[in-house]
Amino acid sequence: MAAKDSPLKQFEIDPLSNIEVAGYNISFTNSSLAMLITVLVITLFLTLTVNTRSIVPSRMQLISELMYNFIAQLLSDTVGDNGKKYFPFVFSLFMFVLIGNMVGMIPYQFTFTSHIIVTFALAALVFIGVTILGFINHGIKFFSFFYIPGVPFYMHPLLIPIEVISYLSRPISLSVRLFANMLAGHTLLKVFAGFVVSMPFFTGVFPLAFIVALTGLEILIAFLQAYVFAILTCLYINDAYHLH
Amino acid sequence: MPQLNPEFFVSQLFWLAVFFTFLFVFLWRVSLPRIATVLEKRQNKIDENLSSAKELQEQAMEIEKKINDQINRAKLETDEKIKNTINNLQEDASSQLFALDRELEKKVLDAEKEIKKNKDNQIKNINNEIANITKLTLGKITDIELSDSDLNKVIETNKVSLN
Repeated sequence: MAAKDSPLKQFEIDPLSNIEVAGYNISFTNSSLAMLITVLVITLFLTLTVNTRSIVPSRMQLISELMYNFIAQLLSDTVGDNGKKYFPFVFSLFMFVLIGNMVGMIPYQFTFTSHIIVTFALAALVFIGVTILGFINHGIKFFSFFYIPGVPFYMHPLLIPIEVISYLSRPISLSVRLFANMLAGHTLLKVFAGFVVSMPFFTGVFPLAFIVALTGLEILIAFLQAYVFAILTCLYINDAYHLH
Repeated sequence: MPQLNPEFFVSQLFWLAVFFTFLFVFLWRVSLPRIATVLEKRQNKIDENLSSAKELQEQAMEIEKKINDQINRAKLETDEKIKNTINNLQEDASSQLFALDRELEKKVLDAEKEIKKNKDNQIKNINNEIANITKLTLGKITDIELSDSDLNKVIETNKVSLN
């Protein structure tokens, strides 16, 4: 298959304007544009729909309120009362990933969540934040997080390294999960789109029908991955409060 | 795989930081407080309405109780009045019946008296008539002139008792 027809071509970054500061290339790219669109969609939607502040909400206002209550409920279910102060952060994270995924579902639109560097940066932000939070709340005792009580003493030399590794791999699993889902979904769509063109006569209808079904599935995954990202963030915040 | 090309890593991280920070600050400071205000306002309104509904319900129950009390009282009063009226009517009727009995008794007695009087008069008249007829008949048949006292004596001995 020629490089221009590669299903991975959609993930290529095109600089829209070349900017270089202190030797670093910080060009505004199609990825940045997708982020800009995402941020604009979120801020405009959440601001304009609630503009009237009506007690009996319009449909659009209701959507904003549902999202608000969804994340607020998620946070209070997993973290409890301690979680309230992290609500803006978790909500921003959820909306950013969700709308980023959804914007990516528009044909010819770039999906910035399919880039490992972006998802890893978000996951690292969560990881570093949660670790700092853990040390603020428990000080040096935070290390007891890796000590599992009620286990025979001779198991600890084995279990403590496993716990440490599992803790350190959190940002990797969090970021790779989102990145791989987006990458696989969009690649699959592109592969089947290639079949539509290359298959003879009307047989291209079958992969087309498959694409339609797959698009529905991808929208579901887009939501699901944003939800998973948010709920894992909540769980990590909870861990920073409650050690074993 | 374009994702692993480090050429645009810095650019992506930079713009991610810019946009995510903007999003976070905007949502934190503008959007979320607005939604929170609306939700709070709605909750307050619901609480307010619920409490006023409860209050109204209590008032309604109080009024209902008052109405029931009044209905019961009115029923008792009516029963009492009906009872009194029946008693009064019965007393009235029995006293009137008694008076009527008395009057009728009196009238019967009077009538009896009148009848007796009339009967006596009639008997007297008949006796007189008998005397006259006897006197006239005797006069015509026999030429015997009887004195009244004699005649009466005869009649008296032969008179048929009407009683």
